[in-house]
Amino acid sequence: MTTPNPLLHVQDLSVVYRAGEGAIHAVQDVTLSLEPGRSLGLVGESGSGKSTVAAAILRLLPENARITSGSIVFDGTDLAELSDRNLDRLWRWRQLAIVFQRSLSALSPVHRVGHQLDDVLKLREPGLTEAQRQERIVGILRAVRLPDRVLRAYPFELSGGMMQRTMIALALLCTPPFLILDEATTALDVITQAEILREMERLRAEFELTTLVISHDVGVINAIADSVAVMYAGQLMEVAPKERFFSAPAHPYSKALIASVPRLRGQSGRLTGIPGTLPELHNPPPGCRFAPRCPHAMPRCSAAPPPLYQIAPRHTVRCVLYDQHPEQRP
Amino acid sequence: MGRYLGRQLLTIIPTLFLSIVINFALLHLAPGDPARIYAGQDIATEAQIEATRRALGLDDPLPVQFLRYLKELAQGNLGISFAYRRPVLDLILDRMPATLLLTGTSAVIAFVGGALLGAAAGRRTMSRLDLSLSFLSYTFFAIPAFWLGLLLILIFASKLGWFPTSGMRDVRAGYTGWRAWLDVAHHMVLPTLTLVLVQMPIFYRITRASVVQQQREDYVTTFRATGMPHGRIFRRYAMRNALLPTVTVFGLSLGFVVTGAALVEIVFAWPGIGRLTLDAVFRRDYPLLLGIYLLLAVTVSLAILLTDIVYAALDPRIRLR
Repeated sequence: MTTPNPLLHVQDLSVVYRAGEGAIHAVQDVTLSLEPGRSLGLVGESGSGKSTVAAAILRLLPENARITSGSIVFDGTDLAELSDRNLDRLWRWRQLAIVFQRSLSALSPVHRVGHQLDDVLKLREPGLTEAQRQERIVGILRAVRLPDRVLRAYPFELSGGMMQRTMIALALLCTPPFLILDEATTALDVITQAEILREMERLRAEFELTTLVISHDVGVINAIADSVAVMYAGQLMEVAPKERFFSAPAHPYSKALIASVPRLRGQSGRLTGIPGTLPELHNPPPGCRFAPRCPHAMPRCSAAPPPLYQIAPRHTVRCVLYDQHPEQRP
Repeated sequence: MGRYLGRQLLTIIPTLFLSIVINFALLHLAPGDPARIYAGQDIATEAQIEATRRALGLDDPLPVQFLRYLKELAQGNLGISFAYRRPVLDLILDRMPATLLLTGTSAVIAFVGGALLGAAAGRRTMSRLDLSLSFLSYTFFAIPAFWLGLLLILIFASKLGWFPTSGMRDVRAGYTGWRAWLDVAHHMVLPTLTLVLVQMPIFYRITRASVVQQQREDYVTTFRATGMPHGRIFRRYAMRNALLPTVTVFGLSLGFVVTGAALVEIVFAWPGIGRLTLDAVFRRDYPLLLGIYLLLAVTVSLAILLTDIVYAALDPRIRLR
């Protein structure tokens, strides 16, 4: 099977937060690959490290966090090695853009929306004339189906759905090839969420976007991703094509995640939660990080961290239940 | 915007009326008898005191006195001072320029300086600059203004002789033209410095806290993701958001420019309203005190109105709701 060169390849990424005396290993040895035009869903509960992965890719980690190892190769360049200045000038927003969760506060409350969009465009593409910028902005607004009057409005005058569309417009302003949606629909009501997700599917095709979708909601991942990566306590537990993930999830944690979502159709059953909580990451358990909550846990689970096993093409699982399969080579 | 301003203006009327009632009541409830003072504390006979009381109009029942005061006030008459035997309005207008010059200058310097230093410290918390400025701000905030004034006089006037110890101009020199202005400026340095030093910590702390908070806002992260440099985000977006609370406090402090510097005026023998007020209190000069209190109420109301206007100009969430 031949695969095209990935647009984004994250290899063995680890991020550590300094917190008081200790260090929190928020992301450990995460490897992700995204081919052009594909959409990868990164799913996990709050605190699993998925947003830290996004912040690391954009190099927007808070001051007390540091990339301790790994590479973030985007289109042949390792972003982890670049200077902040270089990133600002050539990469941020031209190549990689992001839509955040809390769109209502994602722009300055005392400046007009149009002014802020224009300011970003002016910054990123200083060669454009005012008329060209205006044309671009109005065009993008049409693409995300917003009326022109949004430009004259202040953020507080827009609804949650309109602000989210505005933030998508801002992200698409310089037509970047790569877009991260970080819980981009989480703050919206379910109807608006469905609308925005449909819109994103359309824009993905129209703008030929490669997207990384981060969500705690497997429903969102199902709607917008081609493949799924499950994170737990800073580690990848399973990576699989979407259809396979939802029809035949392999990791006990993935199974529990899918079982915890209510179904509208099909047989009704008991909704199951996952007992226990995330382990403390400044002192992670020695073996599998999910072992303390896992229904299949055996003594060997707590002995040593399990490797990733390749159980099918493009399907890897970090669980010793699959140790008859070959270990994945990095 | 127009409706918003109209509403703010209308609320001033009941506010002023209420403050007139309260001022009048409080003054007459306070201990001390003007008639006894003006008749001559120890030597006056009861008959003389009663005659003085009648002459000052203090023999009528309180409601009658109040209605008479309101009636005069409605005609723009603030009454005649007991002590100076001159119209209250003239006395206040005589003293007003000196006070406004001193307090206005120091309020503006304290606001601009405090906001700039607070912004510099807030951008780099825990830096050496931040730590030293924060230490100084606590120190000066804790020092009483009159004591600081005395200290400055001791050092810079008595010991070093760089500035005059008191007053507003050198009467003996009799300067005219620009030399006269220079003379006033020379006299102003120490009292202004005193007021600036005790007021600046307030603006400093508020701006600093506000800048720290604004830098954690989501929109800063958004602009960082677009590749906008920190400095540009700060100048174009964070600073305007961060100034809102500082402007509020500045507006409120403007309300007290007329009477707020009384102790400093006394320390420096500055011929302003502050000293007039304290003298009027000691002499139970009711008409003068009522006039000054009314002036205070009016300036506070106007300052709040002005703050509202500036705030609305800066923040669309207020203007458009």
